[in-house]
Amino acid sequence: MTTSSPAPGCPAPSCPAPGVRIRDLTVVYKTPVGELPAVSGVDLTLTPGTITGVVGESGSGKSTLALSLLNAVQPPGRIKSGTVEIDGLGDVVKLGGEQLRQTRGRKVGYVFQAAQNSLNPLKTIGKQLLDLGRSHEVDDLRALVRDAKDLLARMGMDGARVLDSHQHELSGGMRQRVGIMLALVLNAQVVVLDEPTTALDMITQATILRIIREVHEERALTTLVITHDVGAVAEVADDLAVMYGGRVVEHGRITEVLGAPRHPYTQGLIRAIPRLSGDISLARALPGRPPTLGTLPAAGCVFRERCDKRMEICETVEPQSVTLDGRTVACHAAGRPLPLVKRKEYA
Amino acid sequence: MTVTVIPEATVQTTGGTTRATLRRNFWRGVWRVLRRKPSRMAGVVIVLLFAVMGLIGPLLYPDHLPRDDNALYSPPSLQHPFGTDFEGTDVLALVVTGARYVLLTGLATAVITVALGTAIGLFAGFRRGRWDTALMRLTDMNLAIPGLPLLLVLSAVWKFESPIEMGLVLGLLGWGGVARAVRSQTLSLRERGFIEAARGLGLPTTHIIGRELLPSMAPYIAMNMLIAVTGAVYAQVGLFFLGVLPFEANNWGVMLNLAVFNGGALTTPAALPYLLAPLLAILLLTLGIVLIVDAMDEIFNPRLREE
Amino acid sequence: MITGTGITKTFKQRGSVLGGRDVPALRGVDFAIEKGGAVSFIGESGCGKTTLGRIIAGLETYDSGEILIDGAPMSGLSHRKRQPHFRRIQLIHQDPYSALNPTRTIHQTLEAPLRLRARQTGRPRSWIDGRAEELLALVGIDPGYVLPRYPHQLSGGMRQRVVIARALTMDPEMLVADEAVSMIDVSMRLGILALLKDLRERLGVSVLFITHDIATARYIGDEGEVYVLYRGQVVERGPTESIIADPVHPYTQSLLSAIPVLHGLERPGAEQVVPTEALDERQADAGCLFARRCPFSTDRCENETPVLGHLGETVQLHACFHPKHRSVIPLGVGE
Repeated sequence: MTTSSPAPGCPAPSCPAPGVRIRDLTVVYKTPVGELPAVSGVDLTLTPGTITGVVGESGSGKSTLALSLLNAVQPPGRIKSGTVEIDGLGDVVKLGGEQLRQTRGRKVGYVFQAAQNSLNPLKTIGKQLLDLGRSHEVDDLRALVRDAKDLLARMGMDGARVLDSHQHELSGGMRQRVGIMLALVLNAQVVVLDEPTTALDMITQATILRIIREVHEERALTTLVITHDVGAVAEVADDLAVMYGGRVVEHGRITEVLGAPRHPYTQGLIRAIPRLSGDISLARALPGRPPTLGTLPAAGCVFRERCDKRMEICETVEPQSVTLDGRTVACHAAGRPLPLVKRKEYA
Repeated sequence: MTVTVIPEATVQTTGGTTRATLRRNFWRGVWRVLRRKPSRMAGVVIVLLFAVMGLIGPLLYPDHLPRDDNALYSPPSLQHPFGTDFEGTDVLALVVTGARYVLLTGLATAVITVALGTAIGLFAGFRRGRWDTALMRLTDMNLAIPGLPLLLVLSAVWKFESPIEMGLVLGLLGWGGVARAVRSQTLSLRERGFIEAARGLGLPTTHIIGRELLPSMAPYIAMNMLIAVTGAVYAQVGLFFLGVLPFEANNWGVMLNLAVFNGGALTTPAALPYLLAPLLAILLLTLGIVLIVDAMDEIFNPRLREE
Repeated sequence: MITGTGITKTFKQRGSVLGGRDVPALRGVDFAIEKGGAVSFIGESGCGKTTLGRIIAGLETYDSGEILIDGAPMSGLSHRKRQPHFRRIQLIHQDPYSALNPTRTIHQTLEAPLRLRARQTGRPRSWIDGRAEELLALVGIDPGYVLPRYPHQLSGGMRQRVVIARALTMDPEMLVADEAVSMIDVSMRLGILALLKDLRERLGVSVLFITHDIATARYIGDEGEVYVLYRGQVVERGPTESIIADPVHPYTQSLLSAIPVLHGLERPGAEQVVPTEALDERQADAGCLFARRCPFSTDRCENETPVLGHLGETVQLHACFHPKHRSVIPLGVGE
């Protein structure tokens, strides 16, 4: 594996965006009936400098996947096998203790699900920023505050005022932007946003998405956006990975995945999105319900219960990810033109 | 102007879940929850042991426990596992026969504390407004009553022969905290969607309070009840130990008092078993209750119960 | 038929000892919902759509105005007298996770209102169980599976169906669905929307649909009407298709512009309307309420207050001095 590692602590934006390679990642959760996989055998490559959207329903394992990027899966969950290689860091799964803590924030920024509510209600934003700086041994706290103000101004807010505010004095959209600022202020170059626009209304969502895109480009980031709503990433992402039952079932350029989906789940999901254009009589919901940890079938394709293209083989054999023309699809029924080069992942 | 908008199709009735089945499933769930941790089973065994002691303990011994003038303060032996007291009476027999008063008081206190506290808290939280203000001032007053001095005064005029009387007094003194806590729980629960839905459906208030609100607070109420038992045990034993109350009945607190002030258990080892036996009983009882409290959340939450 | 005229509501924010600030949530709203109709309230959070929906469902009081339910005025009636009217309007909560009591089985949840209904309509108790199964079948779930279960054992979509079934126990005239699909998995949202459409068509229940996602309003059926609310006022009102395809108010246009384009499947509309600043409820109330954020505002907008009308001979009613058609919605790639 060739890792073009830039000098550690390389300041943005002069150095290139790092790539992220997830290989054969399996994350299990301990339950009374044994360890059950929330993520199983996921391969995913984030091309440096791109925004990848990961879309999936509840129980698809998307949030667990995001946490794995920081090696932050909490018990009763644990990373059972696989690697998460980040350029300049190596395998995050092998990091531990102090090294891992330093990584979070400095290398990998994380904007939590419902960032609107993840701020400390008792402290001003500025205090929380200083706490963050101190815990990462930032020497020049003045510079940190300056950077934070710049970032906030960049996102259209009055930095000084925001830093003096408490959480309750800010609107949902403003809190989300503060979350993004806290994730970026230590110059992390890999940024994970978990459901960045959930619970925001349309106009605020559009603003946040525009900010994510602009900041991503200015700071040469590699960004991962986790969401349940295709619409929330369709505007900003370059690549789209579709997750179902702990697997990535389809991955490719977003225009291709949305324009010509190959996996029956992706097809069904797109058909099920309420849209402003298109014939509404063609739209329909996917039958059935998404699987939970306990209801995942042990063998065969995880989607077969809800699939309209289901074949006999789907009952017993789990479909392998096949990559062709930059599209990865894991489905027995997906066209299957002769796989000349059988790679697991498109690069 | 009742309009039936929905045509009534003929659907075969397969029989919904009857109440009896639900009750059976509930107790099966309780059993499952208790078995999940050995500590909980230990707690159940301990509490059952005390319950049996309180129920049939006094029946095992004659009304007047035998004395043995030759064996005053005798050390533990096979015949007297915890030795004897100043009159040569078996300490174990004293503990066993004394359990009924202590447990009955504890139970009475807990029932009164929780029933009063829950009723007042629920009503204040659900009605809000003027009722809330009035009831909460009443609660404040209750919380402000100095318990010990009041009991000292009361004991001058009242003998507390019956454990129920004792429980009544302790219960009437102690409901304030429960009322406050239940009220705040009610205030937050009434904003939940299912309470609002019940109001929107026009369901009667008795249903909303009894069937929707109360079960949601059940783990909380049950925990308070169990803890109130231990509180009451400490309180009355303490009162008897201090000698505030007259020694009418056989009682753990009385034993402690006699062991310390008459037997000099703190200075001479002879009366030590006499002191330790009731202490051990109180400790065991508290331990048993605390071990069970841990299971309350799982018992009353269907999600945790079924898992 | 449910109509409202000039509904106003002001929330008093409790502030310091010197008194709080008043926040107007509704500033005189008129509406009319036909029997079997489909009306959608659209707007940002804080526009008053949820408050209006709760007022219509009888769960909130209003300061002035009048609500008529089948011609009967509601103001001046005591709570007890109003109850039978408002029981025919049932609210479907946004959050199917908090709308069902976690300690009660679905059977218990449906039995309580059905017992009440049986008493009201003079039916025997034996009717209850059959009716519960019938209602669950009607909302598309298997009664045998659902009835003995607790809410936590059901998916979000199933729970929302149970919530709808519970609302149907009262044989309602209208369902008020407040963001009824926003907390449900994307693949199952259309199922709930289709159910609401189905209930309209088969039972003649009218549906009041409250959402910030205007796209979902298309899916609850034909001949629907959309009300676009902004800071407690209706700024545009008309048939769903014409509001979506041909909006004239800049606020409606900015709502539509904000909807993400599914690149690969759609291409963006020719024009985009982006508000010049974020919503600030403390802004002055003079003139057009949207003027400060509107990219097209003029002096007139700052000083005069527009009223709902057909200025510019539009199909829909709107409150804008400068109505202009702008093609803001994304088009399908093939179109």
